[in-house]
Amino acid sequence: MKIFQQSTEFDYSWEEVSTSNWRKYGPWNEKTPHVIAVDTIARTVDPQTGIVSPNTTSALSSVLTASQLRTERLITCRQSTPKWINSLLGGQETSHVYETSYVDPSAKRVTLCSMNMTWSDLLNVRETCIYEPSASSPTQKTNFMQRAEITALCGGWQKIRNSIEQFTVERFQQNAAKGREGFEMVLETSRRAFQEQRDLLRLQQDSKILKEIRM
Amino acid sequence: MSASLAPECNEVKERYDSCFLKWYSEKFLRGTSTSDECDPLFKQYEKCLSRALKDRGIDKMLKEAREDNRENDAEHMRSKR
Repeated sequence: MKIFQQSTEFDYSWEEVSTSNWRKYGPWNEKTPHVIAVDTIARTVDPQTGIVSPNTTSALSSVLTASQLRTERLITCRQSTPKWINSLLGGQETSHVYETSYVDPSAKRVTLCSMNMTWSDLLNVRETCIYEPSASSPTQKTNFMQRAEITALCGGWQKIRNSIEQFTVERFQQNAAKGREGFEMVLETSRRAFQEQRDLLRLQQDSKILKEIRM
Repeated sequence: MSASLAPECNEVKERYDSCFLKWYSEKFLRGTSTSDECDPLFKQYEKCLSRALKDRGIDKMLKEAREDNRENDAEHMRSKR
């Protein structure tokens, strides 16, 4: 098994990052053309029951705290492995990744767990990503932590297993930089779009007031 | 938003995705909603997609992935702790 791990910081609030995360692989991101489709296959909102701290006059009472959102997505990628690996593992044009994510808005945490569906009997890739407010500037910056465990499962040749694992780790390293750049593009575009929306709303409200004054 | 792997589902997917994003940023994150109001649109999208997944044989792979994911649910779902 090999491990890839990195963490980085985004100059955007957790709310912005967690919202933009849903459009990470959309048309605003020009750095991940290998992602061809992202489908949501299941989604549930679970109301949470918390307990109020017992220093109130009444005994323990339970309240409804923020809900947790669980989402399953199917991510479809164009295959970009080198020919020697592709032919070893039985060539396919697309590959699929299964992702489950958990959003806890009260703790301000997004956790994404992904695994490969394609070639899963030969290679096991498990990735966990977490977005959390940055400790240094929790209202303005967001920390991104990524960890992947890569295990080649094909029996027999240790050398081939090692090569496959090594290749996958290197691919993670290359994609990490591209992924960051691409997500930055999405965050920037999203901030601009929200600003424009707010400006438009204000303009509409202003004109309404003007109208009333004139009346 | 991104495309669907099934082009025939793109239209309903787009409608669902924009509904979801609005709900997520305006209600869910602010804690003013405990239910997903885009669910009726999701049902339509899901209907289209499940057919496509079956046709492409992805549904079987998906079932295995879901089995493998149980430990993640156990770890990350607060309600199951």
